Amino acid sequence: MSVELVTVVIDDREVQVAKGTGIVETALSAGIEIPVFCYEPRLGPAVGACRMCLCEVEGMPKLQAVCTMTAQDGMVVRTAQTSAKAAEGQDATLEFILVNHPLDCPVCDKGGECPLQDLTFRWGPGNTRMEFEKRTVEKPIPVSPAIALDRERCILCYRCTRFSESVAEDGQLVAVNRGASSVIATFEDQPYRAPFSGNVIELCPVGALTSTQYRFLGRPWEIQNVPTVCGLCPVGCNTHATMREGKVRRMLSRNHPEVDEGWLCDKGRFAFTHLYARDRITDPLRRVRQRGFEELSWDDALDEAERLLRDAQGRIVTALSGSETVEQAYALGKLLRRGLGAHTAVLPEETSSALDAFRLPLSAIRDAELVAVLGDEPVAERAPIVDLWLRAARRAGARIEHTGDAAESCRRLADGRDALGKRLRESERAILIWSAEEGSGGSHLAALASKLGFGGKPGSGAFHLPATPNGRGIADAWAACCDDEADSPEEIGLLVVSGDEAAADPNVRALAERAERVIVTSMFQGLAVGWADLVLPGTSYLERDGTYVNLEGRLQRLRRAAIPPAPDELAWISKLAERFEVEVPPYAAAVFAELSELIYDGLPFGEVGERAELRTRSEAPGGELPGEFAPAAANGELRLVRYRPLFSGPAVERVPELQFQRPSPEVELAPQDAEARGIRNGEAVTVGHAEAAFELRARINASLRTGIARIANEHAGDLGGFVEVTKP
Amino acid sequence: MMEGFAERVQELAMQYPDPRSAIMPALHLAQVENGGWLSPESFEEVGAALGLTPAYCQAIASFYDMYHLAPTGKHLVEVCTNISCALVGAQRVLEAFQQELGVRPGETTEDGEVTLRTMECAGGCGWAPVVVVDHRYREPTTPEDVPAVLRELRGG
Amino acid sequence: MGSRERVQVVLAGADEHDLTKLAEFRKAGGYKMLAKARKLEPQAIVEELLTSGLRGRGGAGFPMGRKASFLAKDTGKPVYLVVNADESEPGDFKDREIMFRVPHRLLEGCLITAHAIDSKHVFIYLRGEYSHEFEVLRAALDEVRDAGLLGGVTIVIHRGAGAYICGEETALLESLEGKRGQPRSKPPFPAVQGLYASPTLINNVETVATVPAIVEHGGDWYAALGVENSAGTRVFSLSGNVVNGGNYELELGTSLYELIYRIGGGIPDGRKLKAVIPGGSSVPVLTAGEIQYPLDFDSMAEAGTMLGSGAVIVIDDRCCMVQLGLRVAQFYQHESCGKCTPCREGTRWMVQILRAIEDGRADHRDLDLLLDVCDRILGKCLCPLGDAAAMPVASYVTKFADEYRQHVEEGGCPFGGQSSLEGVFAPVDQHAEVPVEVPA
Repeated sequence: MSVELVTVVIDDREVQVAKGTGIVETALSAGIEIPVFCYEPRLGPAVGACRMCLCEVEGMPKLQAVCTMTAQDGMVVRTAQTSAKAAEGQDATLEFILVNHPLDCPVCDKGGECPLQDLTFRWGPGNTRMEFEKRTVEKPIPVSPAIALDRERCILCYRCTRFSESVAEDGQLVAVNRGASSVIATFEDQPYRAPFSGNVIELCPVGALTSTQYRFLGRPWEIQNVPTVCGLCPVGCNTHATMREGKVRRMLSRNHPEVDEGWLCDKGRFAFTHLYARDRITDPLRRVRQRGFEELSWDDALDEAERLLRDAQGRIVTALSGSETVEQAYALGKLLRRGLGAHTAVLPEETSSALDAFRLPLSAIRDAELVAVLGDEPVAERAPIVDLWLRAARRAGARIEHTGDAAESCRRLADGRDALGKRLRESERAILIWSAEEGSGGSHLAALASKLGFGGKPGSGAFHLPATPNGRGIADAWAACCDDEADSPEEIGLLVVSGDEAAADPNVRALAERAERVIVTSMFQGLAVGWADLVLPGTSYLERDGTYVNLEGRLQRLRRAAIPPAPDELAWISKLAERFEVEVPPYAAAVFAELSELIYDGLPFGEVGERAELRTRSEAPGGELPGEFAPAAANGELRLVRYRPLFSGPAVERVPELQFQRPSPEVELAPQDAEARGIRNGEAVTVGHAEAAFELRARINASLRTGIARIANEHAGDLGGFVEVTKP
Repeated sequence: MMEGFAERVQELAMQYPDPRSAIMPALHLAQVENGGWLSPESFEEVGAALGLTPAYCQAIASFYDMYHLAPTGKHLVEVCTNISCALVGAQRVLEAFQQELGVRPGETTEDGEVTLRTMECAGGCGWAPVVVVDHRYREPTTPEDVPAVLRELRGG
Repeated sequence: MGSRERVQVVLAGADEHDLTKLAEFRKAGGYKMLAKARKLEPQAIVEELLTSGLRGRGGAGFPMGRKASFLAKDTGKPVYLVVNADESEPGDFKDREIMFRVPHRLLEGCLITAHAIDSKHVFIYLRGEYSHEFEVLRAALDEVRDAGLLGGVTIVIHRGAGAYICGEETALLESLEGKRGQPRSKPPFPAVQGLYASPTLINNVETVATVPAIVEHGGDWYAALGVENSAGTRVFSLSGNVVNGGNYELELGTSLYELIYRIGGGIPDGRKLKAVIPGGSSVPVLTAGEIQYPLDFDSMAEAGTMLGSGAVIVIDDRCCMVQLGLRVAQFYQHESCGKCTPCREGTRWMVQILRAIEDGRADHRDLDLLLDVCDRILGKCLCPLGDAAAMPVASYVTKFADEYRQHVEEGGCPFGGQSSLEGVFAPVDQHAEVPVEVPA
């Protein structure tokens, strides 16, 4: 498809752009800035509300809000630079915006990075002609524990409400009243409780919506933004960590158009304060007596670690979190596998390279015509940004089919007779998404994609939503350390627990019960105390250099934003490795260089890039369809779907601003299932079976399929399989 | 809210290609059912019936003058004070109502019977001054008519 | 009366018969034109509309036939006809009378127009306050349905809920879609992407109610009525300080003088004419010396104002023009939708300045400031509402400059409490201007 180029003259400069390019972008390509407030192409069609972009367009008698216009051949535009009329128009808008604006820049968090302040400074009048009372209102209003709203500063550009309505589609942040009385509000001042709420802070072009975490904490001239990648879920949104005085103060998006389009979930945006949790471990700890701990020096800690490793005589199992960097995993693997012959490691879930044959950027979801989501777990809970891509796809006209149980529907779709399977096969732009546990690391989905003929269709692809941020990268790195294989030891002499998620995992705890000794790497005392013999301080993704592989298979670069309060994992692994005559460099760059030769075709660390590219598809599709599906539910029982909520885990638990986002104690039911049981929305119900049952609130969810009951892990107790849901 | 509200709203929605279009008639219905105003619960009910958030319903309702977001009296007296009515004495009509009712515009009598409001052009300019009593136009209404209007209202 | 015979098109027969009843309307020839139209090719009707020169009666005056011919073809989407019955312009009450006296003529016009544009879906967006008219229209629609006249077309009467801005066509469409009634940026125009992003023809009640007569007598006949560029008749709404207020259907080109004095019976109580608003509150004012102008599109433009929606408001010498400006500005502040900056902020500022002038708190610079604020609103807003506030107020300040200056120089209103608009209480004062009060 060739792009039609058109010629546009802006301020006497001729530029050629693709037909349909926005005039704001067209002007930028000519080096001319047209000021805007409401214009934000990611929010949908331009609305032309703020009137800041008024320009003269030849052939039109009135000034035009050019943000609503696109480049057409022969168009002649005059901005405020060359048109007195346009300048007068923009002056007028600026004056009107400022008429009721408090001009409290000295105490405004936006000060120094505020488009309104910049424009006022550059073009605004030196003084005001407004001598009447300005509109004053109560402020700031807590839109949520994480977001504050100053309605006096608000210029009603409607970016935030458009985001809520047209991007996140949560419908919670709205404009109420009319005219000059219009204000941004939530329903009855209830908190804006939605997974993507924090984006409105970044969208706000003035200081109306600000982060409560960042309030009064920094000025643009005393901060640095470190470009890195979020390490809290397998999407790997590109971020900036705003640093001041060595501390992370806020997270901003760093728009990777193929990955995140500049959106962050609230976990990615607000959870960073877990770095400064009160129970953060900064020194090695050794168990004394039953539950006591004592701090010890690093030298002593390494001696102790060495002793524990040697004493285990190779009967070592390593429990990985899935959030280690590729380099950490490689370094640890090298130490344990080459130095001690300890080859056994467990990850929270399987990984597979089979999906590499069907790679696509996440942005391809938006361009799809048909998307099948396999599995009953909410996409937003497993990989939040994928949910936004799905919504964008539906708005763009794609059909989104939720197929139900992942394994069952995977087999069904692979069957040549299935109607949806047929459509998927026929579509040129079809996408499969696995949103459930136990996808065999994408292997099942790869088998299905292969059956559907996706291999030969560059527009079709598949995404498995893994449980961990970097499971794939870690598994590959661990495997690359050594060619030997060994069976899991019968008896576990030593369990090495790497990271907080592993330390918090009940399965890992169960392993620890079987282990004679346990070493834990963790950031938080709360997770390590009571069961580890030796605790080494862990670090966060914001404190590490290295790489992650996200769910697309994209290798992305983490940059250390904050210096950890203790030597990082690579540092002590390197030291410890020396004692076992294994050479492990203490720097991510050097570790990566070694590893890259083995698995990344020698890609230099420096070329991983700030906006990493997706590697090309591999050629050999593999994968295996899931086994036979479990039998259907017994009479009246619902199949339990448990899911790990987005707002859970060791980091979230330590962030006060995110507590309100944690899931309520509720069970989601399809309307038909609720009706059949006489259950109304919000009612208390009993969930369980003969052995165990407890009370939850029912939430009727019209988008849920029948036959299942969905509960967040933390409210599902030990339930599994099938449950009865009844009125108490 | 009355039984079958959601069903009635869904019936309204049938008239439109997009059920969202039914929000205005649905809010109107909810207001009638709720005794003349829309409470937070009304927004929840309308939202549930149409698959919209209560916040959205409130955003819509607060845009239009005819949805009341606070309790109103049993009767509604609205005096047009736009220019055509004002030129021929609307203010004196309004004052007559204020005096008779003992309330200012925007307020409700203590007994909860009558809410007095001013309104923008009612569309009866040639037959001014226009007063709208419980959504019925009275054209023209003079200050002298006011006691009779209220007698009729309170009697009826 | 003038020399010409009074020709009635829209309100014809309503004085003699109860045309709200289907039977009566049919006796008077009603729905015959629908039958005739349905035998015609749609394009033939559009051609007649083009020939007739019928211009929109809502205010903007865009030729209906041209609008219809702009409708996007073969989009695969349904075509909608939307009737703008959200009559809210101060001074205007003609559509209301059309609806409560000749509802069937409107419905017949809807059905003919629907046929002309190949539409099966008609929405009548009716002003929320018009509850009697709703009942009349609904009863008429029931009769039409029962009589089997709909011919597969659905007509939905959608009631507004009190927002002047919904008279603006794109705001009306937003409102009809269940959103806040805020105007859309144009293009795309409704003919291309209107209701539910489908091709939509949107016309005023009076315009649509004219269609049956054009089908009956032909476009040429209609074009011969009125004057050049202003074909046909209009239902003028006459109000204010005039003896016989009411709606009068007259040929375009009738002079203001004739309407006010011959038809309207002149100014009551022996007062003197001071000013006339010729096209609804949003148009520039004319002075008593400018009433020789004929009421047609071009003449009004020549007089520096607009024919607008045909609402003529007569103002006698008891009216303080600062109070008039204040009241008009208050109206537009109250009705500003809040979407675009100049209108939202500018109308509020205008009210503040006008209040200061009226209260004697202003100086000469404020008069300049007021004109400058008007100027800074003019031509810069998303929709015509901002202009609708700025144009009339600027015209009062300019044409009655002495009176404005007097307020400043005498430190208050020279009418000393005797103005006809003295102390008039606007709805904008009734609501808290701000939703949340600052705690003391």
